[in-house]
Amino acid sequence: MTPDILRLKTLHAGYQPDLPIINGIDLTVRQGEFVVLLGPNGAGKSTLVKAIAGLVPIHSGLVFLKEENITHLPAHMKLHSGMTFVPQTENIFTQMSIRENLQISAQILPKQLRAERIEAMFAMFPDLAKRPSTRAGALSGGQRQMLAVARALITDPKLLILDEPSAGLSPMLVDEVFARISMINQTGITILLVEQNVRVGLNVASRGVILVEGKVAHDAPSDELKGDPVVAELYLGGGSEETAQ
Amino acid sequence: MTLQPLMDGLVNGSIIGLGAIGVTLTYSILRFANFAHGELLSWGAYLALTVSAALGALLPGLGTPIGPFSFGWSVPIAMIASMFLTGLVALTVDWLLFGRLRNAGSAQIILVMSSFGAALALRNLLEFIYTSSPAYFTTALQISRPVLPGLRATPDQLLVLVLAVVMVVAVHLLLTRSAAGRSMRAVSENPALASLAGIDTRAVIRMVWMLGAALAAVGGIMSGVVVQIRPTMGLDLLLPLFAASILGGIGSVPGAMLAGLMVGLAEAFTVQIIGAEWRAAVSFVILVAMLLLRPQGIFGKAAA
Repeated sequence: MTPDILRLKTLHAGYQPDLPIINGIDLTVRQGEFVVLLGPNGAGKSTLVKAIAGLVPIHSGLVFLKEENITHLPAHMKLHSGMTFVPQTENIFTQMSIRENLQISAQILPKQLRAERIEAMFAMFPDLAKRPSTRAGALSGGQRQMLAVARALITDPKLLILDEPSAGLSPMLVDEVFARISMINQTGITILLVEQNVRVGLNVASRGVILVEGKVAHDAPSDELKGDPVVAELYLGGGSEETAQ
Repeated sequence: MTLQPLMDGLVNGSIIGLGAIGVTLTYSILRFANFAHGELLSWGAYLALTVSAALGALLPGLGTPIGPFSFGWSVPIAMIASMFLTGLVALTVDWLLFGRLRNAGSAQIILVMSSFGAALALRNLLEFIYTSSPAYFTTALQISRPVLPGLRATPDQLLVLVLAVVMVVAVHLLLTRSAAGRSMRAVSENPALASLAGIDTRAVIRMVWMLGAALAAVGGIMSGVVVQIRPTMGLDLLLPLFAASILGGIGSVPGAMLAGLMVGLAEAFTVQIIGAEWRAAVSFVILVAMLLLRPQGIFGKAAA
């Protein structure tokens, strides 16, 4: 059986202790999986991934990355453990060049590996390689997302967490971004994706987890969720499996 | 009118510029105006004076003036020690006060107000230890020499200018070419993203305190070498420091230095043209004018 890469045990988290947003979530993500977190606005999707990344306080419960307890590990140390997170907005350093953005995350690598990994990212995202000295703030929305993903991938993580990478992008760019993410998953990197659009999310991921009011309401393979009449009624606008294609 | 205010303004502006770099760095990374920064110039000067005096007592040869300068090797050695020791003073204040307030999630205004308290404490502690009487690195007199027609300078003044340029270039290279500098710029732009990128923001904050305090120490020592050392020297420089950091644009090291020189020159020419009693008003006028007309400063970027 494929080993677990991320395990959440009865996780409670939120910005204030008396106002929890995540209310006891148990979740396991297996190595190599592509899992999408779905749910209505305010369900706690972004808060959950931010809590895992160390940006939102965890009040109780445990987070394991492989066998390591990373519950209260500071955010900057989680990258060392092999987990990386791409926030929905403000996910690149706009005042720095493309190359500097990559150099920032590469700093945790051994010196002899840094240049090699930067070149590997340029090979993976050729658009970025065309003008590495360009200020990141001058990039288009799609290019920014690519740079954010490249910045996250430079350390060769085991787990890549993305918070709505499609937000604010045109439909054509959304397709391109998800195609890239699927390719990354095919290289063996586990993906945990937050997506607002249930239909799009279930089409790209192999498994869907639907959150409602900070709890897991549904957790099943994407195809199963697409065919579930309750899920279709509540989250796919009454559509069926066919309309979700 | 003579050109002499040009030299006076450049020398004083170099001191202001070095202090303003510290203000601009701490503001852009810690996100509060530290009104105690001027005291670090005073502490830097007094700590150097103490180390220099101790070295002079232990090894009298170190007190013999170097070439055309008014001071011996004890002062440059003391300057290096003081840069480190002033950094420790800044870290101690952060540990005792600002760090605790940051961890408690205090509002920016609380940090600003607490910096006034820190300034008072630091200044009075200096006065308690060293008294309020002026002190000097050396009592040797220096004769100014002509450097250009109508412009005279002492070797000490010229050294101050050279040292200021060296320090600014060094800090600029540190920020733009090194991993430590990139980390500082990353934390300045987006602390949360910097953490996600593997940067230990607390280590960066310590680095910024050390760097800002070290530059302040150099500024204070420069002032001590060409003028004198007093516990209130930092307080007197506070308004020019803030005027220069706003004029240069928050976060811009070359901007802070250039603006420091502009403030210094404006002060010197005001004294020459209008009168010495208006000197203190110059920084205030520059500060208010910049906040009204171009709050992002000369080199700063307007908020989106």
